[in-house]
Amino acid sequence: MIVVALGTGFGLSWYALNDGRLLGAVEIGPWQAWRDVGVPGPDPYTRAYIARSGSLELGASEGLQFTATLDSDNRRLDRACRYRIDGSTPPARFWTLVPVAPDTGAPVTRPGGPTDFHSARLSRASDGSVELYISKALAPRNWLEIAGDGPFDLVLTLYDPSSLSGTGANVATLPSIIREACA
Amino acid sequence: MIRTGLWIFAGLVLGGIIHIAVILLLPALSPTAAWERVVALGPTEGTRVLAAASAGEPNPLRLDPELAYAVCMIDLRSGPGSVTGTLPQAFWSIAVYARNGTVIYSTTNRDSTSNQLDLGLFNAAQTRLLAEQKLDVADGLLIVEAQQDDLMVVVRLAPPHPAVRARYEQALAGLRCGNIAT
Repeated sequence: MIVVALGTGFGLSWYALNDGRLLGAVEIGPWQAWRDVGVPGPDPYTRAYIARSGSLELGASEGLQFTATLDSDNRRLDRACRYRIDGSTPPARFWTLVPVAPDTGAPVTRPGGPTDFHSARLSRASDGSVELYISKALAPRNWLEIAGDGPFDLVLTLYDPSSLSGTGANVATLPSIIREACA
Repeated sequence: MIRTGLWIFAGLVLGGIIHIAVILLLPALSPTAAWERVVALGPTEGTRVLAAASAGEPNPLRLDPELAYAVCMIDLRSGPGSVTGTLPQAFWSIAVYARNGTVIYSTTNRDSTSNQLDLGLFNAAQTRLLAEQKLDVADGLLIVEAQQDDLMVVVRLAPPHPAVRARYEQALAGLRCGNIAT
């Protein structure tokens, strides 16, 4: 009984705060966000998540942050592979996309190089969509060079997303993450 | 058989209770909250500009490498708080955090007509004094009421290009943050 109790109690808590899809997080394609992370009275799960993550969360009116740990085919993001991030993003004043180490939050880009993509500094197709590449080896168009080995996460932050204030649920247009080739 | 089933059922119920207790107690017990991490960086008086996130450097507060951040801590027990100053023409936003990391107030400069930031923080008792006009504050102060006395204010500022970052960080360092003399 004790084993079942401890397993259920702590296992469920760990799941709720790491995945949380059934509880407080929204999921759009490979991207996940905690919807109520920036509101004054978050639900208990979001509150526990905030305490555990220890990061400076964005306020509800400042923006919205999405994290992807998997690609669009549900495979763990791996620094050995080349990824194409393809599509359009919801309206926002600007956005940034940073590849980070899962445990430390450190950008995994080449030291001395750019750490992220910024929406104002990209080459775009005529319809405004973007095609971004993240890989160790040189890639066409918008390319961000990463370094090291092992898994990584992608953090997409939309600042001042005026058209989706309040709900965050009508973000139907997040880009897909496509794995192209692995070393 | 039934007996085993009952033991498992009892285990699941107890597990549910443990789960609820963990979720509810975690905010009070967590040693990794953002507040403690900011305190660990050094003195908490006045405005502090956080070091930019850079490749390979641990980033426990999960800062966006594109943005410049200023933090300051205010104790409303010593009087109402204020954050004032002038910021460059670029995106900036301000968030007020309670000790447990929840955001009690946030706004951006989207609707502002000037680059002037004037934010006043008041607890319930101070808000009452303000309503009774027993507190003298500057005109145009944006008034935020807080339920807590321990507050952390974070100003985010987006330099349009990494090359001008130093100048933007200087502007953040020039923000005045502390208690209003009453």
